[in-house]
Amino acid sequence: MLNNVHGLLMTNQPGYNLKELSSIRSISSVPYGGRYRLVDFILSNMVDDGISDIGVVLQQSYQSLLDHLGSGKDWDLARRHGGLRLLPPFSMGNDQQHNYQGMMDALTGLRSYLDEIEQEYIIIADADIVLNISLSKVFDQHLATGADVTAVCSKKYTDRPGYATYYTLAEDGTADEILSKSVPNSYEALNIYVISKAKLIELVGYSAARGLYSFSHQVLANKDKLGLKVVPYIFEGYVARFPTVADYFEKSMDLLKKDVRDDLFNPDHPIRSKDRSAPAAYYGPDSKVVGSMVSDGCVIEGTVENSILFRNVKVGKGAAVKNCILMKDTDVGDSASLNCVICDKSVTISPNRTLSGCETYPIVYSKGTRI
Amino acid sequence: MKKECVAMLLAGGQGSRLYALTRSVAKPAVPFGAKYRIIDFPLSNCVNSGIDTVGVLTQYRPMELNAYLGNGQPWDLDKSEGGVHVLPPYLGAGEKGSWYKGTANAIYQNIDFIDMYNPEYVLILSGDHIYKMDYDKMLDFHKAQNAAATISVLEVTMEEATRFGIMNVDENDVIYEFEEKPKHPKSNLASMGIYIFTWSKLREALIADENDPTSKNDFGGNIIPNLIGKGETCVAYRFGGYWKDVGTIASLWDANMDLLDINSGIQVFDKGWPIYARTNVCPPHVDGPKAEITHSLVAGGCEIDGVVDNSVIFENVTVEEGATVRYSVIMPGAVVKAGAKVEYAILAEDTTVEANAVVGEDKGAIAVVAGGVTVDEGATVPAGAMYTEESKGGVA
Repeated sequence: MLNNVHGLLMTNQPGYNLKELSSIRSISSVPYGGRYRLVDFILSNMVDDGISDIGVVLQQSYQSLLDHLGSGKDWDLARRHGGLRLLPPFSMGNDQQHNYQGMMDALTGLRSYLDEIEQEYIIIADADIVLNISLSKVFDQHLATGADVTAVCSKKYTDRPGYATYYTLAEDGTADEILSKSVPNSYEALNIYVISKAKLIELVGYSAARGLYSFSHQVLANKDKLGLKVVPYIFEGYVARFPTVADYFEKSMDLLKKDVRDDLFNPDHPIRSKDRSAPAAYYGPDSKVVGSMVSDGCVIEGTVENSILFRNVKVGKGAAVKNCILMKDTDVGDSASLNCVICDKSVTISPNRTLSGCETYPIVYSKGTRI
Repeated sequence: MKKECVAMLLAGGQGSRLYALTRSVAKPAVPFGAKYRIIDFPLSNCVNSGIDTVGVLTQYRPMELNAYLGNGQPWDLDKSEGGVHVLPPYLGAGEKGSWYKGTANAIYQNIDFIDMYNPEYVLILSGDHIYKMDYDKMLDFHKAQNAAATISVLEVTMEEATRFGIMNVDENDVIYEFEEKPKHPKSNLASMGIYIFTWSKLREALIADENDPTSKNDFGGNIIPNLIGKGETCVAYRFGGYWKDVGTIASLWDANMDLLDINSGIQVFDKGWPIYARTNVCPPHVDGPKAEITHSLVAGGCEIDGVVDNSVIFENVTVEEGATVRYSVIMPGAVVKAGAKVEYAILAEDTTVEANAVVGEDKGAIAVVAGGVTVDEGATVPAGAMYTEESKGGVA
């Protein structure tokens, strides 16, 4: 149980291009896997391992994220003591709206919040990553190695161009080099860190004085100069991040593989999400659905193959849906035909339409589009 | 804080005719309709009707029901004033306590609870009926009739009337007689077990009833006839919608199948009158490459790679490739393995049907496998059987 650990989630990451999917919401609230938002994964991991005080650092277009998290009750975080704290940006004393460039300047703005944290340790993570990780094990390693910073890394490259950092290991298991490009035998950092509150506050102060904003590129990369002991934690499980629409499409389809589902959806370490009341999915007399993930509230009268349907999706009679990701309330009219299409929420496709993209370049329809 | 109307939900029923399904849970907690439990229907009706104070009277096997209700949050009944209250029988200091002797006695024992909210009216409900009803309209009717008691009734055939409590009424639907399962019914108005009472009148009647040692302490048999005898106005409120008592295996199966029929009158997809449930955390279900699912409801967390037709499938059910499930109700966590065939059956929670086993038969009486029981490889559970751990040797 991580009752001496505070959680901090960073919800707005640069370096992404999910086009229509992220233009109306922060990356952390991009829908994924039929009923989840990206933030659900790391947030649930924290809650499942006993972290009950969690701050969520907000930046841009966070309306959808606020709506999703609500009071935090679906994660048991609506608490009289502690629980979920939403941390929107606020003015830094000048009139210009302040945009955080990275974690360190965001935390500079939250200095008073950091000071009030009751726990001795902080797990700080980007909320843009799909994984199911035991943070207790990460924390145990942190204590055992006596590291200043433990950085969760994966051998499985998630190919996040231009933003990720890569670690090479020294013989004693500590970080040797921290690089901006991958090299042979390097590990990709997943931007999940364990650090003591005291050390974090010290590093925030150091960064503020020097105008540094990036924790990974400007602070950790200078670990030798700063005398920081940085130890990677090598995570072996499934990991997905998706900087592009093609990545999003491909990694979403990973969920149709049983081993990936078994890894992510462990009933003893569940991924929680906002509970929206919906009946079970209904399959009509002539429906045919194979190799697909189907959420509650769907009404399927047509054919669905190799697709992911979010809640309350309707597939009309004679309609054919293949290789598609259809988000909540998508309505596919009778005899319409879709291939390699991503529909954001509440897209309506009129009867008899044919829409087709290709796997490396799926068509994306933005929220509320009518075709 | 004063409430206009408090609901009292009788949830103590043992449900002995469902025994393979109610060995460890009270009847109201029996799973229903792929995502719900029976009690979700009256509870959701309360919330949708604007009633925010509900006493749930428990007695038989209350543990799972208590856990399910919790603080009432899934139904928005986690209120600082009102909300859902579980009311088990209790022992007062120096008193001789007892189980609830009858439906009326259950309410009698909780007069203090009702008085706490000082309501004008009390709504009495059962925890074993599937229906959607706006109790507020019934309350309006009760007020307009200036009645002491209003009893919701359903028009049934004269043949069916012999199986119900029947209300005999005059031309204004004022009840002059109640008959329990009459051999020669005079009317076809069957009581649905839903009553609204003006609290002051009911309170008086409950105390009088408790003082009568010959009384069976039953609403239909004692309280209503006594009110009529005293000259109080008791009226019938005619309900035209879907209503089903799910007290038998056949009717429970029927009601589940009715959810698949768009014309049955009971719809869970109706956004205007949602049914709320406490739901488990589970991912969407996945249909494998060999799945063939038609005319069915399938809930989250399932892995379906076989044939599913005309069935209601609850959360976290597995139907393997080569398995067939037809005209069946499969409760949470059940596993149907390759080559197994399940037809006209109800599989309770966490049952396993091993490879090539057969449960039920086409158009046969409904076969039931009790919770947690495994049907061994190649075994047969005949139509109409109640298959439990004890009966296994006998029928397998």
